[in-house]
Amino acid sequence: MNELNQTDQKSTPMIQLQNVSKWYPVNGSRSFVLRKVNLEVQPGEFISIMGPSGSGKSTLLNIIGLLDGFNEGAYLFQGKDVAGLKEKQISALYKQHIGFVFQAYHLIDELTVYENIETPLLYKDVKSAERKARVADLLDRFNIVGKKDLFPAQLSGGQQQLVGIARALAGQPDLILADEPTGNLNSRQGEEIMEIFRQLNHDGVTIIQVTHSEKNAAYGNRIIELLDGWVKPVS
Amino acid sequence: MLANYLKIAWRNLFKNKKSSFINITGLAAGMAVFIMIALWVRDELSFDRYHQNYDRIGQAWQTQIINGEVFADVSVPFLIGDELATSYASDFNYIVMSSWQGENILSSGEKHLSVEGIFMDTDAPRMLSLAIVEGSMDGLNDKNSVMLSQSAARAFFGTKSPINERMTINRQLDVKVTAVYEDLPFNTSFQGLKFIAPWELYISAEPWIERTKSQWNNNSFQLFAQINDSADFATVNQHIRDAKLKRIPDEDRKYNPQIILHPMKDWHLRSDWKNGQVTGGRIGYVRLFSMIGVFVLFLACINFMNLSTARSERRAKEVGIRKTIGSSQSSLVLQFLLEAILTAGIALLLSLIIVQLTLPWFNEVAGKKISIPWTSPWFGWTILGFTLLTGVIAGGYPAFFLSAFNPLAVLKGTPGRYTGLPRKVLVVMQFTISTVLIIGTLTVYRQIQHTKNRPVGYDRTGLMMVEMKTADFYGKFDVLRTRLKQQGLISELSESSSPLTAVWSNTSGLDWEGKDPNLSTDFANIRVTHEFGETVGWQLKEGRDFSRELASDSASLIINEAAVKFMGLQDPVNMPVTWMGQNFRIIGVVEDMIMNSPFEPVKQTFYQIDYENVNWINLKLHPGKGIQESIRQIEAVFREVIPGIPFEYKFTDTEYAAKFIQEEQIGTLATFFAILAVFISCLGVFGLAAFVAEQRTKEIGIRKITGASLFQLWQLLSGDFILLVLISCLIAIPLSYYGLSQWLQQYHYRSEIPWWLFALTTAGALLITLMTVSFQTLRAALANPVKSLRNE
Repeated sequence: MNELNQTDQKSTPMIQLQNVSKWYPVNGSRSFVLRKVNLEVQPGEFISIMGPSGSGKSTLLNIIGLLDGFNEGAYLFQGKDVAGLKEKQISALYKQHIGFVFQAYHLIDELTVYENIETPLLYKDVKSAERKARVADLLDRFNIVGKKDLFPAQLSGGQQQLVGIARALAGQPDLILADEPTGNLNSRQGEEIMEIFRQLNHDGVTIIQVTHSEKNAAYGNRIIELLDGWVKPVS
Repeated sequence: MLANYLKIAWRNLFKNKKSSFINITGLAAGMAVFIMIALWVRDELSFDRYHQNYDRIGQAWQTQIINGEVFADVSVPFLIGDELATSYASDFNYIVMSSWQGENILSSGEKHLSVEGIFMDTDAPRMLSLAIVEGSMDGLNDKNSVMLSQSAARAFFGTKSPINERMTINRQLDVKVTAVYEDLPFNTSFQGLKFIAPWELYISAEPWIERTKSQWNNNSFQLFAQINDSADFATVNQHIRDAKLKRIPDEDRKYNPQIILHPMKDWHLRSDWKNGQVTGGRIGYVRLFSMIGVFVLFLACINFMNLSTARSERRAKEVGIRKTIGSSQSSLVLQFLLEAILTAGIALLLSLIIVQLTLPWFNEVAGKKISIPWTSPWFGWTILGFTLLTGVIAGGYPAFFLSAFNPLAVLKGTPGRYTGLPRKVLVVMQFTISTVLIIGTLTVYRQIQHTKNRPVGYDRTGLMMVEMKTADFYGKFDVLRTRLKQQGLISELSESSSPLTAVWSNTSGLDWEGKDPNLSTDFANIRVTHEFGETVGWQLKEGRDFSRELASDSASLIINEAAVKFMGLQDPVNMPVTWMGQNFRIIGVVEDMIMNSPFEPVKQTFYQIDYENVNWINLKLHPGKGIQESIRQIEAVFREVIPGIPFEYKFTDTEYAAKFIQEEQIGTLATFFAILAVFISCLGVFGLAAFVAEQRTKEIGIRKITGASLFQLWQLLSGDFILLVLISCLIAIPLSYYGLSQWLQQYHYRSEIPWWLFALTTAGALLITLMTVSFQTLRAALANPVKSLRNE
């Protein structure tokens, strides 16, 4: 029913990339990473970006996450041009809309599970009581209440990724960007993470993931294939 | 958020124990040096501030031109007091004539103590805003009165009130205690003053003063004054400049005497005169040490900067993560600054402990009585501000450096290229500062040693001096000499007008054949008894010593080599001279004896026989006897011959050594700070070397399995640091050479700065660096390559 809702809305797309190209200058010529990429993502979609190594998947995801820039084209996020945003504005965007999930989890080693999940809320200036409630909720949801006082080094990879996702969700983002979230996990752990993503998507969160695995890609509702920086037309 | 930052900071401190240790120890050492110097500077700057009228009190100086050179002196004529009081009254609130502060024998009944005292005009207590504990502020109004310091009152009368008690000064002047004042603090010019007696009493007690009441050219007194509330020193000095000049006969005007009121705020810090102007003084050292304090603290901050940026990769990931979850760069800057401030805070606690523990030693070395003002609120605020500032200086650069990381790059594990150039520049700065301090310290010591090795012109061993403080001492010469010699306690005894370590009287008016009529004669004049030369062991260069056999020797003079040069004589012996209308004959020339400053040239001096105008007894102990036992027995003889007088003596060599106190204080303090600076710099290099070795573990492993020798690896890892130290030395050498040449200019008798001093310092710096670095590099080079390569 969610899906129905979204299609009905037909409001502004969440993400619009128009003719986005990115290259590196090499010996006077250009070495392209992305070529004239056009992409629209509607709220509530679950997209998997696929393609061989070096096809530009991660770069595309990084551009969407404003971690990387591009040389040509336009990028509208919720209808607003976000190319050339100042650092402060990018931070604000992260705080309000985007959660990142990394292949290598990227938790802060010196903080406990609880504190890691809490950190985005601190940046959002969420009041203490609400912070506690939200973190407790997330711990509960991912079944890691018992681990809340442990440091990342004391957890298994799967558990770390759960914390990573919990942290990404803490700020209640509209969009989750995940770069090979299961790349460092075994298949059972990987499935668990994918199930969580599916559930999140059901709850209305837009997800874009980069993945190598057809199986994982199947959890999404659209696949974008990249080859040598081009988006392969949908077959 | 703050809690989150502090948690991270705290956990990082424990996680990286080595670099935390280096950071905290280095910062603590730097902060301790800074705090100590700050306390010292504060003490120096607050000198004499105890007096409420501090801003408006001055002492009269007099400048005169003698043979084209302007000399400045604190002694002024008797007449100047009245002159200022009558002709310039509107400029002053108080004018206080004064004797010289010195040891006097104060007695109450049979109790005699030798204490510091002074004779001053009646307004002195008000001018100096003495804190009267008992009695009256006008305690000097009655001619036969005395004001005691609290400690003196306690020493004589215990807990009993001393008011109206009768006492005698120098066994001669009867006085009544009229007031007790709080002892003057250690950092005042009049510190240690146990009593003040009326100026009028002094005049009546010393017949020679009567003569000076008409002599404008007799400069034997001090004058202190407080200028009017609405006046300022510049204006007053304009007015009074020619106060003396206007009153003196024409033939004396060529000396152009100028009266200048030297403000109290400058007494301690600015009392060096050149060409009739104040040119500086201790303030130079205050500035120098302030600079050293700032530099040493900066050295410690550099360690922090270098280690923080060197270890940046460890924090890079955190920066990246925080940025992706919405942290702005400014909140990251804040976070890193907080970490630095936390570290500085911990270092502060440690540094306060260090300061507290070192202060007793420091006070002894610096001749101070400084304590940490724990209870005063300004201290708390200052120290808080200081910690924040240190944290910001140390953490500022790393904070901006770290927070600027590109999240994408650091999360991929390829942080931006960091060339390490700023780090190298900072290390060079550290070693430059340290090297300058080392060269400076060595030069100060060489200068002291150089001056100490200067021949003094007499023999200081076993030479004792006793001041003839009261009339009781006079007329005892023969008895003392005969008895002490008979008992075999001394080999000789003589008396003289000045102690051996000072010149108390100077004179002019000497004339001789062939004298340049324009030459103003200014001689040190020492009156001695016949065996003076034998007692002190002076070195006769020409002619003969005084002889008891020749009655004509009462009109004989012995002059020093400086006098021969000053007078321009070819053949001084038997040369007739006139002085004060009397005829004298030069009978001998002695090697220059250093009586005043060992840093200055010896003044032209003549010695003459006089058994009346003498103030000191000089004793040459018999060499064969134990000193302590001799002194005990000599004391017994003195007590018997001069009863009721405390026996007090000085050893010439200790008095002479005291002339080096200021230089030695400076030298010791500079050494202490230089050692700490070197320590801090080495700590930093130690940390950096550890980091570099760690970073290159894999490279070392690979080089090792491809056949690199231990020496080659050591070379590889140490080479960079050696280069940096060499660059530092290249900068430090001209810098210190220039600065020290300037410093040495103030000394007439000065040492050279030899080239080998620089070579030695450079070698020393290299050696210390090599030792510091080698500990780390050897450890890395010796590690089993299998281990380091397995990590990959």
